[in-house]
Amino acid sequence: MEEQKIKIEICCGTACYMLGAAELLRLENIIPDQWKDAVDISAIPCLEACSSDNLGGAPFVKINGELMSNASVESVCEKIFEIMKTRGGH
Amino acid sequence: MMKNDSLFVEMECCQLTKDGQSACGDDFQWERLENENRNIAVLSDGLGSGIKANLLANMTTTMAMKFIRSNMDILQSAETIMDTLPVCEYRKISYATFTIFDMQIGGKTKVIEMGNPPFIHLRHNIEIVPQNQKKLVSERWPDREMTISELRMEVGDRLIACSDGVTQAGLGRREYKFGWQRRGELKFIQDLITREPNISAKDIAQAVAYEALSINKDHKCIDDISCMVIYLRNPRVLRILTGPPFRKENDREFAALALPESGANKVIICGGTTANIVERELRTRVEIDLKLVRFSKGLPPPGKIPGIGTVTEGILTLTRVATDLENDSWEDSPPAAKTIIEQMMDSDVIEFIVGTKVNEAHQDPNLPIDLEIRRNIIKRLQDVLKQKYRKHVTIKYY
Ligand code: FES
Repeated sequence: MEEQKIKIEICCGTACYMLGAAELLRLENIIPDQWKDAVDISAIPCLEACSSDNLGGAPFVKINGELMSNASVESVCEKIFEIMKTRGGH
Repeated sequence: MMKNDSLFVEMECCQLTKDGQSACGDDFQWERLENENRNIAVLSDGLGSGIKANLLANMTTTMAMKFIRSNMDILQSAETIMDTLPVCEYRKISYATFTIFDMQIGGKTKVIEMGNPPFIHLRHNIEIVPQNQKKLVSERWPDREMTISELRMEVGDRLIACSDGVTQAGLGRREYKFGWQRRGELKFIQDLITREPNISAKDIAQAVAYEALSINKDHKCIDDISCMVIYLRNPRVLRILTGPPFRKENDREFAALALPESGANKVIICGGTTANIVERELRTRVEIDLKLVRFSKGLPPPGKIPGIGTVTEGILTLTRVATDLENDSWEDSPPAAKTIIEQMMDSDVIEFIVGTKVNEAHQDPNLPIDLEIRRNIIKRLQDVLKQKYRKHVTIKYY
């Protein structure tokens, strides 16, 4: 069975966008070509993490449903790489 | 654009200035008399061209507007206008033409014309020939005949008037021996409406003016060109939902205002939390096209909810919309701001549905710039849309 794609949801709400999501939204163009088929990137109006005190700082990204705070292109790529490793790819 | 009863009277005019002149020799003025529910528009063509013609035309429209507004006798008004205008040394006439549209509540309309090409009245794209028409001649100005037509405007009707720069376009070219003429103009407008039955007054006025220009030899503007159009129709409503409601229990009612059956022609949802509420309450999904990110130019990309409308980020986008509207320039705006502005321009009524709950995240001291308060932006938008773009704006807080 084909392996499930890694689901990446980038918040493009006001707070996240101002604090770095603008960069993150370009993720699709930044990640290596060989990863492209393995990830599914989408944008979300607001992940609703911005209004909580205890979830960390914006920008927020959800990777396979798990919330990541203070996300950057590097930290997201690292996470993708980690997931791929545990799956035994690359 | 103005509201007449529950209908809308869209009044627009497009003017092109004769090549080499710094001012247009035609003038257009319109006014809505709120208390009387009456709309008046005047188009005048001043003798000659340039500043002098512009002054003659402007004096004419200003006086005509004043006389009509105060219901002064028509013949007496026209005489006063002609007496006031300076007389041309060569032709010994004081010369400025005019067409006046005076539309009252219920569509009762008077058209007063002197010297301009006869107006056009269209209903279901068919020309209606005025049934009730009379001529008036002043004893003192026997060569200046006025035509007064009385008619009734129905929903969907259009009135069109132009200066002779339109009907005489093309003069001097073999295929337009007598110019484009009213016939040519009428056929052109009917073709436009056949292609796009709900075409706006503004689009017709512009299309006619530029067509006249293109018919002219070498596309030169050999005379001032003006086309004024009045369109009586149902208002087009754009509803903008922005901000989460103060009380959560109002979320459902708030979100329901985004539904197509709730009376708006178009809906835009501005704000991430707002979009989430609509998604949740109406069980829909926002789709954001990441391909637009490349062009997003400082604003998050717009998205849509199928069957509902456009979705954008909130404060940053609305602030940009306000600024671009104030500066009258959105050609190069980011897609999110541009799509909002274009939808605003296509509408007569703009209804803001504003949720008043404060978004804690917007107070975050880490944010690189201070965000304006939603209410203030909406106020700015209301002002500019009303004053500069003649839109009818309503605001409802939740
Ligand atoms: S703006 Fe990103 S979580 Fe709300």
